[in-house]
Amino acid sequence: MSTKFKNITLVCLASLFLFGFAFWSWFKPADPFSESERRALAEKPKLSLESVFHEDSEKRFMTLFESYSLDQFPLRDLFRTVKSFASFYIFQNMDNNGIYVQDGYAAQLEYPINEDSLSYAAGKFKGIYDRFLNGGNAKVYSAVIPDKGYFLAEKNGYLSMDYERFFELYREKTAFAEYIDITGALSLEDYYKTDTHWRQEKISDVAKMLADGMEIPYSSEYTENVLENPFCGVYYGQSALPLPAEEMRYMTAAFMEDCTVYDHQNGKEISFYDMEKAFGKDPYEMYLSGNLSVVTIENPNASTERELIVFRDSFGASLLPLLAQSYRKITVVDIRYVPSANLGILRDGRTSKPLIDFRNADDVLFLYSTLVLNNSSALR
Amino acid sequence: MLFSSVPFLYYFLPSVLLLYLIAPRCLKNTVLLLASLVFYAWGEPRYVAVMLVSVALGYLFGLLIERFRGKTAAKFFLVLSVISSLSFLIYFKYADFFISNFNAATGLSVPLLEIALPVGISFYTFQILSYTVDVYRGEVNAQKNPINLAAYITLFPQLIAGPIVRYSDVAKQLESRTHSFEKTAQGIRRFIIGLGKKILIADALAVFCSAFTESDDKSVLFFWLYAVAFSLQIYFDFSGYSDMAIGLGKIFGFDFLENFNYPFISGSITEFWRRWHMSLGTWFRDYVYIPLGGNRVSRWRGLFNIFVVWMLTGFWHGAAWNFIFWGLFFAVCLLVEKLWLLPYLKKAKVWNHAYVLILILLSFTLFASEDMKMLAFQLKGMFGLSGAPLISAQTVYYLRSYAVIFIIAILGSTPLIKNTFLSLQKRAVGEKILGAAEPIALVALLAVMTGYLVDGSFSPFLYFRF
Repeated sequence: MSTKFKNITLVCLASLFLFGFAFWSWFKPADPFSESERRALAEKPKLSLESVFHEDSEKRFMTLFESYSLDQFPLRDLFRTVKSFASFYIFQNMDNNGIYVQDGYAAQLEYPINEDSLSYAAGKFKGIYDRFLNGGNAKVYSAVIPDKGYFLAEKNGYLSMDYERFFELYREKTAFAEYIDITGALSLEDYYKTDTHWRQEKISDVAKMLADGMEIPYSSEYTENVLENPFCGVYYGQSALPLPAEEMRYMTAAFMEDCTVYDHQNGKEISFYDMEKAFGKDPYEMYLSGNLSVVTIENPNASTERELIVFRDSFGASLLPLLAQSYRKITVVDIRYVPSANLGILRDGRTSKPLIDFRNADDVLFLYSTLVLNNSSALR
Repeated sequence: MLFSSVPFLYYFLPSVLLLYLIAPRCLKNTVLLLASLVFYAWGEPRYVAVMLVSVALGYLFGLLIERFRGKTAAKFFLVLSVISSLSFLIYFKYADFFISNFNAATGLSVPLLEIALPVGISFYTFQILSYTVDVYRGEVNAQKNPINLAAYITLFPQLIAGPIVRYSDVAKQLESRTHSFEKTAQGIRRFIIGLGKKILIADALAVFCSAFTESDDKSVLFFWLYAVAFSLQIYFDFSGYSDMAIGLGKIFGFDFLENFNYPFISGSITEFWRRWHMSLGTWFRDYVYIPLGGNRVSRWRGLFNIFVVWMLTGFWHGAAWNFIFWGLFFAVCLLVEKLWLLPYLKKAKVWNHAYVLILILLSFTLFASEDMKMLAFQLKGMFGLSGAPLISAQTVYYLRSYAVIFIIAILGSTPLIKNTFLSLQKRAVGEKILGAAEPIALVALLAVMTGYLVDGSFSPFLYFRF
């Protein structure tokens, strides 16, 4: 190839690429939402003198345009995949933006222990205990759900926090609660490969362990149902790698038909499994309709007359349908969406009685994942 | 606006190229000037006025100096030009440094100005200074066309991070320059390589450096790896930017001088500074060192001149004591070499390189340290005096994760890859294969880098603060 021809080829190819993607960027309609990252994409900012000279540089037209140009770039997901491939397979980076893939499982580096965060979370729980539970009749329990890093990180050479120390610290800071160690009932296979969460069909052992710890009967007689919608978890989008979609399952039992599940945030009756959300942007929100501040589950056919209050994160949503068989009433509280200081003044919209009945509760469980405890600023 | 950004690559650059392509020859500099103002305003629109006033003063003084060349008035206007240019620089860049030191020395509390630094002010001020001095010396004629002069000073490829282009080097090209497929191809090649240095190497090393800074599991090895990573980061960051500037210059028909020539292979610190940021080194030589008398003065005056030049070189890099000490560190190294060590270094084959690399690592440790406390922390850590273990879990993880980047960066900081490429190109088969593969490989590289940009990767640019 002559130098002249090579030069012409380079100029033509580079121009084609540069101008091709430039024109495509300029004239492409904006996408409102990224399915893979589950977030709204930046919109085109308005050009005005005010926006150009805005005092706050973060609100200037130029800054907003940078976000817009990145979010709306043509073939964005493909380019992110190219980057991930280059990062993992050419440059041999162990992680890409903090996400790593090992044995087919995508996980996030959770390192190191954030003691301030752990103290903050424990302080919130202690505040709830002191304000509403201290001196009452309820037995208080706590359990920590390890993230996938517990099973994957250290043995594969990834940065790993000292989980035993983490659990120890948590136990020390929540000494008011009886700690139930559920790690023995879990293994890596109990988690989704592309998501942070555990699989409901695999956590019957965890439910049994918690039931034993809280001294209630438990039966594992459930029917396994397969969701027809393929599941791509949160790490699917974050890793930007072509990980295979997974099968999502949910467990049903006869007792569930007579249960009343009520969403107090929106004041409406819901079901254990929200089929609309199962086919929505985040299918994991199908369990107890996802991120809701307060949900109650009433089971007239429960095996005991006991009442349970659970403080939980998203992991709890898939576990609690399994415990519903044993409690006449479960009140599910997520203090990421309701301030813990307000729990005493919340009213049941149907009866105007206090929504969270701390006095009559038999058991109280604080059930949180290491992911939330180590990054707990969202707890209110 | 950063070169390594989607707005630059896919909005600004294609628009400017199209406008430049369709503009008649007489309007090409006007297109470049307007584009450069938009480019500059993208970062801080208010400071466009500061730059335009500097340009206007440079233009005016250039004409006046030429008008009175050979007369006292010329010297007067030159002094005015130097004072006005430096006033802007001192006010925006150094005022708070002087105030805070004054406060510290007197116990007073004069309020700081807290003004944001106009991007590229150090570069364009030096270009204006070199222009008016060259006009005074009669080395160039004053530019009569204000658009041409403004286009030269604000030319976006070199506006914010150099290289410091002398007016004398591009004066003819401002009037008339050639464009060709060959030159454009050279420019594209150079630009993509520079972009790769910046995005794939410097930014990756920046992430490594951040991991070190945030780590609570440091080790002696981690301290050393950080020193190596930071030195390589700053080299690839800055030389990558210079490559992009030179490449863009070629696309628009200009020939900018080289700014880096594999400085890490130097056998002495003297040689290092002939290979590192060459446009700055030659600027200080021609406009400070030689006017002070250079080495054609008494021995003590010569030593004084060296210290002044290197203190100013350090100070140019930033308004902080660590930069001044960084400059003085090199002054000491250069003096030791000049007075004693250089003949031994020239004869040596291995240890001289080790000597240079260690001093460079130490110098960049100083460069990166915001204060003496931080410098002491770094040095103690490097020499095992901080109580940190020799190695830690985090060190092993990040070493494993960045080993390939380190290897590429170390090889890329030597001429090995370039020489291998050139020797393969000399062979008939190699020439054919490389000839066919090069355009595809370069565009593929551009696609990968676009992926990095779209992914919103960490992309700070170190030399913006200068």
